[in-house]
Amino acid sequence: MSDRSRLRLFVLRVLVVSLLLTLVGRLWYLQVLAGDTYAKAASNLSTRDIVTAAARGQIFDDLGRPLARNQTALVVSVDRIALQRQPDHGIAVLKRLSSVVRVPLAQLRHRITPCGPGIAKPCWNGSPYQPIPVTDNADTAMAMKILEQQELFPGVTAEEQAIRQYPLPGKANAAHLLGYLRPVTADDLKKRRSRDIQIRGSDLIGAAGLESSYDRFLRGVAGLHTVSVDAAGAVTGTLSESTPEPGANVVTSLDAGVQHVLEVALANAMKSARKSYDKTRGKNYVADSAAGVVLDARTGHVVAMASLPTYNPNIWVGGISQKEFDGLGSKANGQPILDRATNGEFAPGSTFKLVTTTGTIKEGRADFGSTYNCPGKLMVGNAFKSNFEGESGGHLSLHQTLVQSCDTVFYQFAIDDWYHDEALVRAGKKAIEGVQKMARSFGFGKPTGIDLPTDQNGHIEDRASKMAFWKSFLRKNACAGAKTRPKGSYLQRLDAENCSDGWRFRLGDQANFDIGQGTVLATPLQLAVAYQALVNGGKVVAPRLGKAVIDPSGKLIARITPPVVNDLGVSQSVLDNIMAALYDVTRAKKGTARGAFTGFDFAKVKVGGKTGTADVASKQPTSWFASFGGPVGQAPQYVVVTMITQAGQGGKVAAPAARAVWEGIYGLHGHRPALAGGAPPAALPVFFTDGTVHPPGTRLPPAPKKPKTPKATPTAAALGPNRYGRLW
Amino acid sequence: MVTDWPARPAGFGVDRRGQRAWVADRDSLLRGLDWPLTIAVLSLSVIGAMLVWSATKQGQLDNNLDPQFYFKRHIINLCLALLLGAATALVSYSALRAYAPIVYAASILGLIAVLSPLGHTINGAHSWIVLPAGFQIQPSEFAKIAIIVLMAMILGEKRDGEDVPRDTDVLLVLALVSLPVLLIMLQPDLGTVMVVVFVVLGVLALSGAPTRWVLGLLAAGVVVAIVAINLGLLNQYQVARFKSYTDPTSLTQTTSYNQHNATVAIGSGGLLGKGLFHGTQTTGQFVPAQHTDFIFSVAGEELGLAGAGTIVLLVGLVLWRGLRIANRASDTFGRLVATGVVCWFAFQSFENIGMTMGIMPVTGLPLPFVSYGGSAMFANMIAIGLLQNVHLKREL
Repeated sequence: MSDRSRLRLFVLRVLVVSLLLTLVGRLWYLQVLAGDTYAKAASNLSTRDIVTAAARGQIFDDLGRPLARNQTALVVSVDRIALQRQPDHGIAVLKRLSSVVRVPLAQLRHRITPCGPGIAKPCWNGSPYQPIPVTDNADTAMAMKILEQQELFPGVTAEEQAIRQYPLPGKANAAHLLGYLRPVTADDLKKRRSRDIQIRGSDLIGAAGLESSYDRFLRGVAGLHTVSVDAAGAVTGTLSESTPEPGANVVTSLDAGVQHVLEVALANAMKSARKSYDKTRGKNYVADSAAGVVLDARTGHVVAMASLPTYNPNIWVGGISQKEFDGLGSKANGQPILDRATNGEFAPGSTFKLVTTTGTIKEGRADFGSTYNCPGKLMVGNAFKSNFEGESGGHLSLHQTLVQSCDTVFYQFAIDDWYHDEALVRAGKKAIEGVQKMARSFGFGKPTGIDLPTDQNGHIEDRASKMAFWKSFLRKNACAGAKTRPKGSYLQRLDAENCSDGWRFRLGDQANFDIGQGTVLATPLQLAVAYQALVNGGKVVAPRLGKAVIDPSGKLIARITPPVVNDLGVSQSVLDNIMAALYDVTRAKKGTARGAFTGFDFAKVKVGGKTGTADVASKQPTSWFASFGGPVGQAPQYVVVTMITQAGQGGKVAAPAARAVWEGIYGLHGHRPALAGGAPPAALPVFFTDGTVHPPGTRLPPAPKKPKTPKATPTAAALGPNRYGRLW
Repeated sequence: MVTDWPARPAGFGVDRRGQRAWVADRDSLLRGLDWPLTIAVLSLSVIGAMLVWSATKQGQLDNNLDPQFYFKRHIINLCLALLLGAATALVSYSALRAYAPIVYAASILGLIAVLSPLGHTINGAHSWIVLPAGFQIQPSEFAKIAIIVLMAMILGEKRDGEDVPRDTDVLLVLALVSLPVLLIMLQPDLGTVMVVVFVVLGVLALSGAPTRWVLGLLAAGVVVAIVAINLGLLNQYQVARFKSYTDPTSLTQTTSYNQHNATVAIGSGGLLGKGLFHGTQTTGQFVPAQHTDFIFSVAGEELGLAGAGTIVLLVGLVLWRGLRIANRASDTFGRLVATGVVCWFAFQSFENIGMTMGIMPVTGLPLPFVSYGGSAMFANMIAIGLLQNVHLKREL
């Protein structure tokens, strides 16, 4: 090393030592010489965030009746920090509190313990600086005790707070549509960065139904009050403050009256089915569940939708108990948590003949001018398939085929269709599969896109889907079964066949498909959407529960209209002919729903529909009725679909239930009309600036009269995609 | 007939003799390590892990997340970093020189990648490449190593018994160094630029370059800084940091708020501190970035003068051993590598600790071995590996 380098190394050493000495000197100054000043500053510097929850927006029905609202309740809260400062860490206070609010001490202590690994609910999920609510049904006497003797209850407060309430107007339950609120989980917090909504550890979040799908509107923005506190925890000043912004209100197209009518009709149908005897099985019908949908036939808005068994939505409020929660999912109770209208997938039976008819006509293999043979039974492939109870109908027009629901005519369609497609496949071309194609046009096989968090696909079987199922699942299982099962047994032979040929789309598959059995699955909502398309000129919509979003001051944020997602591309004359046939189902001599509609007031209301009786393996058949109608002389006003599982024939169980709904809506035969005038209101409920809500048509109070300026309402699309990725 | 093979040119290939010696006698390798350096670094790492845990636990709990999340990741980072450091220490000494251009090229690519759409902005600096599984790489950390090794390679190459690098070598070095510096400035990561400038000055000085170069560069640096601030070449927040430094009592600016709270936290720690996990300022999370750049405030508050002073002394021990290794290095290359590493840690530690105590402006630099952060940890341990490598090849 040169002398120059040596000298410079020395300089570097000196530099390093002086830098270190500077740090040690500064450290000494800060921590020893000026330590007291900083210790004092530190105790003044602590800040705390106090979150004021925003009032959640309300959910209204079409007449402005609240389906979900906020109720003030006396909430007793505990400040954990204040308790910790007690000499005994607050045990004595909690003991006194336990006797006042009548909650066991152990439970009280658990509730105020912050959640963490190994600490299960009901623990405290929020910030430790936040007062922790221990009960939300305190009465005034409890509150007085706590507030008047604060020296006995340091850190305990009682104050009025808003809690969610589902008032069930007109006894309408709608539990599955409303959903519920649940505390925010760690998962939500992790995801919150990617969302445009603000959530904190102590918040509630919409977990299902409308509460979930409209959460970002309903939620509002919590107020944040940041205060400085001293070492003793006393507040010394306010650093920043933002007031909470209440959430927006959602007006739905649901009508509490119709909802109640539908729920009662379905419950009664289940009850009466259980009283009738199933000859085939030698026992009464089980009728274990039911679902129904009422759509506004002209817009695609949902007027009512129900699934039974159901539950009271209020059980979620204030935290559901484990027992209640288990009950919601238990099979013994019929799993009330399931929404069968949107998430139950069932074979639609003959109600599906709407699709088969439309598809076959579109392929040019049937028309309303020809007649078709309706034998009692027909050779389909290598087996006879017969009509219900072997009835033969002779030569029938297509109109009469639908009225009587003759299966063998549809089997013949399936045979023609299948052989034509097979010829194409053999020639190396693609099969047309016209009925399947039409089913997809009607919206089967994919979610309807309703404004609820989930709705199911259903299933449309064709050559491709059968192949995919065989490749991904059936082949493996069947080939294994063919090896392991006893040689020559029925199951072994079945497995052996599926192992090699399970991918084949057979004639029998097409035949079953065309009468809606087995190889096609649909949700009641999908069926309602299909029938709505029939009466709406072939336009398939994504149904909507939401009608409008209204800001807390009553200003319209957005109107919501069901978007048209597809056009069937079928001429109006074909649709009219099908409707004419279905109108005869309820009235003509051999109509399958004639019995159910005997004595119906057809002078006032016209109802058409299609019955369905779907066989289910090892269960009793599902009973269906898909109907549409309205006042005589008008275009159809509603679509009503009813379904009862394990209940027998559509004409005997589901059709009477639908009839009850029709009579309830229009107030026939002494029923009180659920809807004034029978029509769904076009206008929105009126929101007064004082926060009250009135039925549509109510005139605003005269004082703040503003000049009427027709302003462009933002369209749903302007709101952007919701968090399920779909447009409203 | 050839009876005598010509001697191999020096600096060519691998030093086989050295390698064989290592393989033959593992004990001598372990004994050959600079143990005070190793112990100081490990102690800093252990203290750092505890501080990271303490700094992040409450925030995680408040959000209902795993309170040990950062602690666990920190330990994983630390283990990987130690492996990297060990590998660096064991690479043959002459191979270090051979790798220098490759390391340099790789770090330039990394720095360019950051400026491409692959890069991400964290805390105002566009310095990160985000990898899957939540991992991030900060290429500027590795660029420091590249610059040190490359400078040492060029300036350490002595020809014809010259003792002083030629002017062309110095110019070459300045040209090669200015490229990564420019790229880091574009991020912008002012702290790293300052570290690199300090390292360049130090290495250049110790290479024996003429005094006019050293003083000239020093002057140029000052002029550039003044011009940059006055012409608005720096981002507003960077200027704000320096201005808040000149007026630390104004609490309106966020950076000043950070620094003020950090200073208060340290000051309130007193002689023995409030105890690990018990700092009111730490659990209240009043100091942003308290597990990364402002980790020293946690040490000051919770461990007091005893703990914070220990950290300063351990840093001093690292620097002392580094200077000792530089002094005893067997050749100029080794001496310059060791000098570069010492300059790096000296300036970065002083700047980091100084900023938390309010005597240096706020820049985004982590405290070596203590702060949370994988890239920095890896780079630091590789640098220690370099020191050990030079040490193993020292003059006995």
